[in-house]
Amino acid sequence: MTKDIIAFWGYPEKNITDKTKLEHPDALWIDLDINYNYPDLKLIPENYCVIIKNIVNNAFCLKDRIIKILAPIGKDKCDSAYFISEILTLEGFDIVQTVFEDKCKDYNSLKLPISTSNLPLRKKVELITGNIIDRKDYQNLEKCTPAFGFWGVPPNDLSILELFPDNTEVFGWIRAVEAGYPGDFNIETYVKKDLPTIFFTQAFCSKTALAKYLANKYEGLFIDIDAVPNNSTKAKIEAFLKLR
Amino acid sequence: MTDIYIDAGTTWTKILEVKGDKKTYKTIKSGKLKDLYSDCKKATGHTSIKTEKYVNEAVALAMGAKKYLEKDCTVLDLGSRDIKWVKYQNGKFKDMDWNTACASATGATVEMLLKFYGLKTEDLEFTKEKYTITCGIFGLEKIMDDVSHGLKASVAVSKFVHGLAYNAYIFTKKSENICISGGFCENRCFMESLKQYANVIPLGRYVLVDGLLNENQ
Repeated sequence: MTKDIIAFWGYPEKNITDKTKLEHPDALWIDLDINYNYPDLKLIPENYCVIIKNIVNNAFCLKDRIIKILAPIGKDKCDSAYFISEILTLEGFDIVQTVFEDKCKDYNSLKLPISTSNLPLRKKVELITGNIIDRKDYQNLEKCTPAFGFWGVPPNDLSILELFPDNTEVFGWIRAVEAGYPGDFNIETYVKKDLPTIFFTQAFCSKTALAKYLANKYEGLFIDIDAVPNNSTKAKIEAFLKLR
Repeated sequence: MTDIYIDAGTTWTKILEVKGDKKTYKTIKSGKLKDLYSDCKKATGHTSIKTEKYVNEAVALAMGAKKYLEKDCTVLDLGSRDIKWVKYQNGKFKDMDWNTACASATGATVEMLLKFYGLKTEDLEFTKEKYTITCGIFGLEKIMDDVSHGLKASVAVSKFVHGLAYNAYIFTKKSENICISGGFCENRCFMESLKQYANVIPLGRYVLVDGLLNENQ
């Protein structure tokens, strides 16, 4: 089978992405974080972050087509990603480890047209993650007056984002990605003090501690979901949005 | 014409029938709901019967207990399979939570324990000691161990219920004033246990159906 895929997870360092684009101009870029419904190969323990499981399942299911994997392993991703990158190396993948921990020097200069737009929340998250590679200009999006905040990472099951109204502003790692600083703790932990915000993480992710801490600090709602949300979790989000 | 409001719980369904100024409250086994009612004006909980409007349970709870919430009480609904609470501050929503993953420390477990040991709710008495039941399944193990070593089953289950009350208190972030909604209002052991930690006001089983009536008023 022809190898035609450049795979990645998280937000690979920009120079490495640019170099890889030049080396493989016709390659198909695949984000391994995303759940493409490939079979669970059970290579990862049951009680583990579902995003890391996605990475491993996607990688092995696409192994014959993957040229190389750009693998963030720094504070811009997580320790689990480091161990997975080493395991995948042992399994014969061409892994390029990247660390993207740059800090913003002028927070007032950040451009966040998607996070602050009035697009549906799911669309916002899809555009931001898609733009890691595409790098299109979205400066002309119409802004919203936010009524709610969504803090966190892109969920494994994006359908929970459809519970939120369009005037929901994006915070957390997703916002840091749009800003171009996925490892900047100040951007990741910024929220608006009086904006009712839901703090989301995947279960078994180390960001759970941060989400819980911030939810308590800002009187938001902490939600952790494993693979897919159950009805009670959805109802909890709906109640928070309705009562606030 | 009678307007019917339904709070369909996992074990019990609470019903409010409103005809003119007359209100009638009923509790039936949830398994009988579809035999007795085909539709209703508003519903909450776990039901598939036809309804003009479905209302989220936590919203129904908040609407049903609004006058207590406005006095800065935390309102806690402890059901068969889940537990949820809502808190207001200065007349506005402030905080809430809803357990969503594990039902092993809720009403269904207590009902199963009572059946397993042939006990009635009235047999349970407040005990100063409690089991730590962060996980209800581990709590069951402690009950069985203690009973096998000679502790009366009613005392062991009472210790479990005390643990459950303590969990509820912690779950509400240690609220000073807690209003209880649901069948646990009638569980003397639970109520006495919870009073060790907070001021407790029982609101009865019909808070959510009252909330359906109040919603959007």
